[in-house]
Amino acid sequence: MKQRFSFSFQWEQMLFVLILLAAAWSAQLSPYYLSFEQILNSTRQFIILGVMAMGLMVIVILGEIDISQASTLAVCTVVLSKFSAAGLPIWLALPVIILIGSALGSFNGILITGLRLPALAVTLGTMGAYRGLAFIIGSEVGYTGFDDTYMWLGSSYIAGTAVPTSLILFLLVAFAFYILVHRSVYGRMCFVIGNNADVARYSGIRVPLIKIAAFALAGAMAAVGAWIFVGQYGSARGDNANGMVLPLVTAVVLGGVDINGGRGKVLGVVLALLLVGTLGNGMGLANMPGPTQTIVLGMLLIVSVLLPNLVRQRSSFRIWSSFRTRGGRVPVK
Amino acid sequence: MSTTTANGAVRSQTGGRNLANLALRLRVTGVLVFLILLCIFFSLTTSTFFQAQNARIIAFNAAILVIAACAEAIVVLTRNLDLSIGATMGLAGYVTADFAARNPGIGPELVILALVLGALLGLVNGLLVSYGKLPSIIATLGTMSVYRGITYIYARGQQVTATQLPPWMLKGVDAMVFGIPSLVLVAVFTVALVAFFLHYAPLGRTIYAVGSNPAAGHFYGLRTDRIVLFAYVFCGTLAGLAGFLYAARVGTVTVILASGWEMTALAAVVIGGVSILGGSGNIVGVAIGALVLATIDNGLVLMGMPEFWRMFIQGTAIVLAVTVDSLIEGRIQAIFKGKRRLGQQQ
Repeated sequence: MKQRFSFSFQWEQMLFVLILLAAAWSAQLSPYYLSFEQILNSTRQFIILGVMAMGLMVIVILGEIDISQASTLAVCTVVLSKFSAAGLPIWLALPVIILIGSALGSFNGILITGLRLPALAVTLGTMGAYRGLAFIIGSEVGYTGFDDTYMWLGSSYIAGTAVPTSLILFLLVAFAFYILVHRSVYGRMCFVIGNNADVARYSGIRVPLIKIAAFALAGAMAAVGAWIFVGQYGSARGDNANGMVLPLVTAVVLGGVDINGGRGKVLGVVLALLLVGTLGNGMGLANMPGPTQTIVLGMLLIVSVLLPNLVRQRSSFRIWSSFRTRGGRVPVK
Repeated sequence: MSTTTANGAVRSQTGGRNLANLALRLRVTGVLVFLILLCIFFSLTTSTFFQAQNARIIAFNAAILVIAACAEAIVVLTRNLDLSIGATMGLAGYVTADFAARNPGIGPELVILALVLGALLGLVNGLLVSYGKLPSIIATLGTMSVYRGITYIYARGQQVTATQLPPWMLKGVDAMVFGIPSLVLVAVFTVALVAFFLHYAPLGRTIYAVGSNPAAGHFYGLRTDRIVLFAYVFCGTLAGLAGFLYAARVGTVTVILASGWEMTALAAVVIGGVSILGGSGNIVGVAIGALVLATIDNGLVLMGMPEFWRMFIQGTAIVLAVTVDSLIEGRIQAIFKGKRRLGQQQ
């Protein structure tokens, strides 16, 4: 048992080492990298991604997938732009878009659980539908006249420091998800469902309800992401966060969450986000062209799953098999 | 008595074959009815829709999507996905167009380059999925960005313009054979080839078998790894063909050629009644699914609707299609359950 406990940290340890390597590489690539303020500021690049990845993680642990999250974000930014134009105060607009986000999310969940549809097909459809909806609401012209109160979260820094306000929010969200996933009954039920939905059903867990809640939560996280997005980019348009699916899934999978469900850790996903962020930051500072960065991200996604798989096939050493299980597993014994 | 029926689902009862056949017919009929309803709707709302010329335009626009959707369907039938199909089309299409621009005298044998490139890219996907044991969504999501990135690097910010392409390429795509666009003929030929392969060739049948139940296929003695690998190579080859045709059609070939097509192709597959869980579906349905998407595009343009309504309606169509599919499936299962209970009582 003790051994297993230490092994379960392996994947996170490896991520940590990779982050250090990426940071060293970045420092090598660019003289501007090694500055505390620079690094802190660069975290803004993955905060939106991170907040949404937290929501997606719970869905993946449940053994489902949601590729419509980025489109939900677009709907929320566009709705925010309408509210801002109408002069609605932010404290009123915020609950409304979070509600809209969770409504869009639970619509996915209801279709998936109620009609037992495959999550990928449903969210593929709603990905297009929500994206279209965002364009229909906001038309093709972008909106840039956001009120300062709307922009505050995404654009401000903690007074006197270089810490972005949104980073604090991200840390709070990550901590909340840590409690939810690893320290609450709900989280435990998610792992049970992800490992074996039949067992979950027979032991009286209301599987549909939990799944719908997870999808609603992911939608709400997309709405929070929209709030940060508006502040960071100061614009809202139907194609906001287009193409965010790849980095989202990469972050979750690289973080050690099993795409087939049942395993995963919040810490792993946070570390994976840091890794992706560090790589992106370093390569950006080194003026590496965008396509190269995309290739690196894609390769990272493939290798992070392929390597443990190959090693497992080659040898049956226990130390290697821990890479496969990658943390957060529910002990079988 | 266990029979693998035309839609690939293995039924274990004597009546199962007829029922599953019926379901298949229902499913393809369902898509067809949807297509006809769409046509009626657009005919009533616009004056220019119901014309032979417009039908030709729709078929022309749908042709390349039909090929891409066939490619995607082969992989989906094995219970896998190919999200890199757009990037494969882009890379194969761009490199081929670039090769043609550098070698002006080249003839139609150029197609072979596109096919081989597509097959190679498909092989990489297949190796990752079948021997690397990667979940297909991760493997192809990764290769999607890798292939697209390679296209960018290969192109070095350049593009291939229509004047650089050999004239036969551009003329060939626009050519008419007996009043039918040549692209449509290629698409029909591809559908016939893939349909024949999937429904009659032994290897094609094993694709359904692996998709319905990989474990059972393995124990039956099928080399599931090789079959999945083959499916990916086949898919890549067809994607290479589609990329080549698309490059010839647009004339000006850029690095973003066919980006986003993985979603459109997958949409056509799902609307066409192929189960995303593999093992069931029909290529003719997929072709009709692609036609549905092209018809929606065309009709909305004629109605003067903004382009972004297309996304909304396409997305809704996908959700509707899977819903209808699952309802039919549920009904069939209910019938089977009833029969089994009856049998036990007797």
